[in-house]
Amino acid sequence: MKNSNFMAYFFLAPALILMGVFVFWPVGFNTYLAFNHYEIAGGAVEWNNFDNFRRIWEEDLFHQAVKNSLLFLLVVPFIQLLSLLIAKLVNNKMPGMTFFRAVYYIPVITAISIAGIVWQFVFKYDGMLNSFLSTIVHLFHIFPQDKVVDIDWLGDPDIAMYSIMIFTLWKGLGYYMVLYLAGLQAIPAEVEEAAILDGANAWERFWKITIPMVKPTILLCTMLSTIGALKVFLEVLVLTDGKAETYTALYYVYDQAFRNYDFGVAAAAGLVVTFFCMILAAIQFRFFGDK
Amino acid sequence: MFKSKELNRLVTMALQYASLMAFGLFTMFPLLWAVSFGLSSDGSYAYLFPQSFVPHVSGGDGTYSIGTTLVWFERVFVEIPFSTYFKNSVIITTLAVVGTVVISVLAAYPLARMRFAGRNFIFVAIIATLMLPQETALVPNYITIVKLGNFADWLQLTLTGSDAATWKKLIGMNSYLGVVLPGIAGAFGIFLMKQAFEAVPQDLIDAARVDGATEMQILWRVMLPVTTPSIAALAIFTLVNQWNEYIWSSIVMRAKTMQPLAVGVFNDLTGPLSGSQNTLMAAIVLTVIPVLVFFAFTQRFFISGMDGAVK
Repeated sequence: MKNSNFMAYFFLAPALILMGVFVFWPVGFNTYLAFNHYEIAGGAVEWNNFDNFRRIWEEDLFHQAVKNSLLFLLVVPFIQLLSLLIAKLVNNKMPGMTFFRAVYYIPVITAISIAGIVWQFVFKYDGMLNSFLSTIVHLFHIFPQDKVVDIDWLGDPDIAMYSIMIFTLWKGLGYYMVLYLAGLQAIPAEVEEAAILDGANAWERFWKITIPMVKPTILLCTMLSTIGALKVFLEVLVLTDGKAETYTALYYVYDQAFRNYDFGVAAAAGLVVTFFCMILAAIQFRFFGDK
Repeated sequence: MFKSKELNRLVTMALQYASLMAFGLFTMFPLLWAVSFGLSSDGSYAYLFPQSFVPHVSGGDGTYSIGTTLVWFERVFVEIPFSTYFKNSVIITTLAVVGTVVISVLAAYPLARMRFAGRNFIFVAIIATLMLPQETALVPNYITIVKLGNFADWLQLTLTGSDAATWKKLIGMNSYLGVVLPGIAGAFGIFLMKQAFEAVPQDLIDAARVDGATEMQILWRVMLPVTTPSIAALAIFTLVNQWNEYIWSSIVMRAKTMQPLAVGVFNDLTGPLSGSQNTLMAAIVLTVIPVLVFFAFTQRFFISGMDGAVK
């Protein structure tokens, strides 16, 4: 037993040391930083009670950031419904499905920074999206010929957050599609066949069989994308860099830390975000505890 | 003539393929556009809707015809240090893949197959880290990496008496290890390998024990050969993620000569080079292609590994 203990810890040591330094320690240190003023030069630390929290509480930018992060939750139902529908589509036994699955997965394996540059050109004032919409409008004569679509997708504060959501949708659909595909393939074929014999149409089968059978996957994916939406930040960084009032909570954290070098304030804001994510994770565990 | 039932089936199928194509175009169009943009001789057609998806070359007298040119792809290597970024990406990704696999395998084996004090506690602690938003670790890890660099510097001065600051370059800011270390021990890899090891029949291990094999030999000679598919899945995952990773690399790699593709190309193209749009699109295509090619060959493992991680 003694020997077994030693070997086990010997094998675990590299992982535990690294996680200790880079995963567990940051949690504690971040909490500590949240209550301190940290001087980047020399690393001088000064306890300042709740000053950091008071500062972010009083700052309009943080309010706007939180509001945008909450607004971003709008993307969750869209991304879930669409990726479930796509998964259902590619789960059909028709030729070419492997190809389509791969094509839908391409955005997931594209670096976000690189994808972000292309999408900047899509969203540009004179970019691809406006050109595309203008063509459609001309094609169907919805408006008089001279009227072209000119929407400032990333520059208009009323629109920019929604543009970022479109990007997130594009980037994330394939990821959730694969998860749903796993859920769909666990449904026994007989269940579906029996329903067809009973005369249920495709719509009824979707609501009465598919949805209930993949419910665990739906819960998992919804939680993942809810937490993901609350944590949205890289998308903002690569598309608008916080312009057009697109600050989100974690973007604020990043900005305070690596542009203002105000680590205390960043840590305090980060702690607030962590707290909300923990609450969501707890809800998630409650759901899955029932299973 | 078709019977109505058969017609119905054909229409459904046509509709399904039409939707599949439509979704495919939605996910593919940025890349197709970038390819066409990069192959065109200038940006004149770049923002016209259907035209810009077909590469155009200038006839020199104001006319354009369908055609391709590789000049912008060549310019990429002249205008930005593309090969340097590429080399950095390869080094960083290799370190991350090897590190992640070795550390996950080592940690997962006792968690799956050995009985020792504190096993459950350690496993729960590792899994719990999945819920932490990794972004909040950026600041503490940044400070840690800076301090590690300073420590290496001090160590070098103390031990060798040299103030060349070469040790610092191994582990501090602007170091390959500094980029890779925080990510290589993670719950995902350990969990994936633990699942794989648990599925190995006990008889196999018992037989090896009877033959007098040590734990290390059991892991190396018995467990690893039968869990190769999981190891491959973990390696592929790590490779794609590390190749595309942006934020932590951009914090640690401040020096241009140390940046991987996802950071260097982004910084160059959103900065001074944003003017030359054809070069920009060519650079984007060159950055995406390696991971796409890799994905094309490994997508079977990649997607089944993903399923396995959920079930």
